[in-house]
Amino acid sequence: MTPLRHLAVHLRPWKQNTHPKPENAVTVAVSSRVLFRTEREQKVFEQQGVEEYLRYQIEHENEPFAPGPAFPFVKALETVNARLRELYPQSEELFDIVLVTYNHAHVGIRLINTINHHNLFIERFCMTGGSSPIGYLKAWQTNLYLSADANKVREALTEGIAAATMFMPEKMTEVSESQLRVAFDGDAVLFSDESERIFKAHGLDKFFEHEKENEDRLLDHGPLKGFLEALGKLQKKFYAKGQRLDCPIRTYLVTARSAASSGIRALKTLRAWGLEIDEALFLAGAPKGPMLEKIRPHIYFDDQMFHIEGAAEMGTIAAHVPYGIAQKHNSKHNTSAGK
Amino acid sequence: MVSTDQKTDVKEKEADCPVVVAVTSHAVFESGGAEDPDGLYVGGIAFPLLQALQKVNERLLKENPAESLLFDVIVITTESQQQQQSSRITESIRHHGLKVSRFCFSNEEDFIENLLNNNVHLFLTTNRNEALQGSQKGVLSVLLDEHTASCPTEQLRVLFCGDAVVQSEAGPALASKQAAQSFSAQIGKMRGRFGLFDSPISIALVTSRGGRESCGDALRTLRSLGVNADEAYCLAGVPRGPIKRLLRPHFLLSECFSSN
Repeated sequence: MTPLRHLAVHLRPWKQNTHPKPENAVTVAVSSRVLFRTEREQKVFEQQGVEEYLRYQIEHENEPFAPGPAFPFVKALETVNARLRELYPQSEELFDIVLVTYNHAHVGIRLINTINHHNLFIERFCMTGGSSPIGYLKAWQTNLYLSADANKVREALTEGIAAATMFMPEKMTEVSESQLRVAFDGDAVLFSDESERIFKAHGLDKFFEHEKENEDRLLDHGPLKGFLEALGKLQKKFYAKGQRLDCPIRTYLVTARSAASSGIRALKTLRAWGLEIDEALFLAGAPKGPMLEKIRPHIYFDDQMFHIEGAAEMGTIAAHVPYGIAQKHNSKHNTSAGK
Repeated sequence: MVSTDQKTDVKEKEADCPVVVAVTSHAVFESGGAEDPDGLYVGGIAFPLLQALQKVNERLLKENPAESLLFDVIVITTESQQQQQSSRITESIRHHGLKVSRFCFSNEEDFIENLLNNNVHLFLTTNRNEALQGSQKGVLSVLLDEHTASCPTEQLRVLFCGDAVVQSEAGPALASKQAAQSFSAQIGKMRGRFGLFDSPISIALVTSRGGRESCGDALRTLRSLGVNADEAYCLAGVPRGPIKRLLRPHFLLSECFSSN
């Protein structure tokens, strides 16, 4: 066994220079506006147009951008990768972070300088100069796409790619540097919006009735189910090496459903899917903000802007999944289009 | 277009000469000399490419009717059989409405000489042997394939390959690299005549194997040649096929970045 171990250690530096095949990795695509803070540049773009915007970018090429809302999440993904490489030096089952942006390649050097400055391990990127990146997301077998633009996120969702819109909160509470924490809403995120439709159309009582009657019927899957699945697969790799208690990935379900009644159907569905979730928090309609503040996830997915805003108020980094019936009620919240 | 040095632009405007592009008749028309009911040749692989070059010229002249930095397209025959079809070739070109400035009816012996005599900046062919011969004589030669046939006609799409393997059998690599660099500079200048959106030329950069540093280096190399890429893709090992299919370039250039 010893000679093999030495061989593995010798190979490891080489291995770290090659990049995982998309089919083996969990590919997370982030846009430049959520990975970094680009408000000043956005303002130049909106007020003075694209030519001036690019001139500004090139002028400030050697000034790295500050971290954006997706930055802690990406750093946490890299921490998990480091732990995975220790346990499985030959494996390509890692997170692969790809920068996908509508920016023109003129901004390329500034983005590369910024990645270097922050020591991020991002070796793949895609600058489409204005055209849709959806084709590239598919070619890269993207498991999750994070962007600041709701239209692009919606486009990705229609193509079957898990996606969410991120916003820069006023304050970002500190999150763990050793454990990736991902929190999900249930309906219209992990599950379909079928039950939410009942609630919206017929009210709470009807919703409870419907859930009780259908307790043993599985909910249909939602847009983020696949990503939870991908996280679960990586978690199992830690469990296999006896690291369940010290697992650097932790998942949470934060739902308005109640534990005693409507929550049962959610748990049964997860179990039937073979998905484990580390903590399930049934709030029975109580506000999610305080609970999220306790959890401090690196990212929280919800389909309702009301909850996203509530979370952001308390410093939680939240990502909106523009999916399902709740979107018809989100009309007053429009994100700005652009880069 | 973002311009970093206004003064050089003014000086170089006086020296702008046309970009001479030679395309073989085999590339322009269907191989095998397929004919339509009128006995004229049917459009082949390079057809959309010629239309795109024409589009660029039209737009350049629209921006500046006195523009001299234009594509100068030559159709060249490279073997005796085609050489004898001169009238049919010229008629077919006219029939299809293609603007070709000159015809060179050469054969396999003398076509290279004709390329050199005509100061050809870019030689496009579907024949690998011809491309090799061109490269060996220092002419930037690009092999077209069936993908070129399905490219758009409204926009010329050029793809720079930042870290492709240098074709070592191509002979004097240095001469070819210089030809590639000066052609690229001309393309970059042409691109600079248009704004960011609605440009009849689009330039993309792809690096296949290396990480972000190799892509950054490629971007800097292009910039030093006066080329500002519109799009950039750093694949770091992801298969290039799907990306190429999405980009739909008319042709690829890799000689600018060869290591010698």
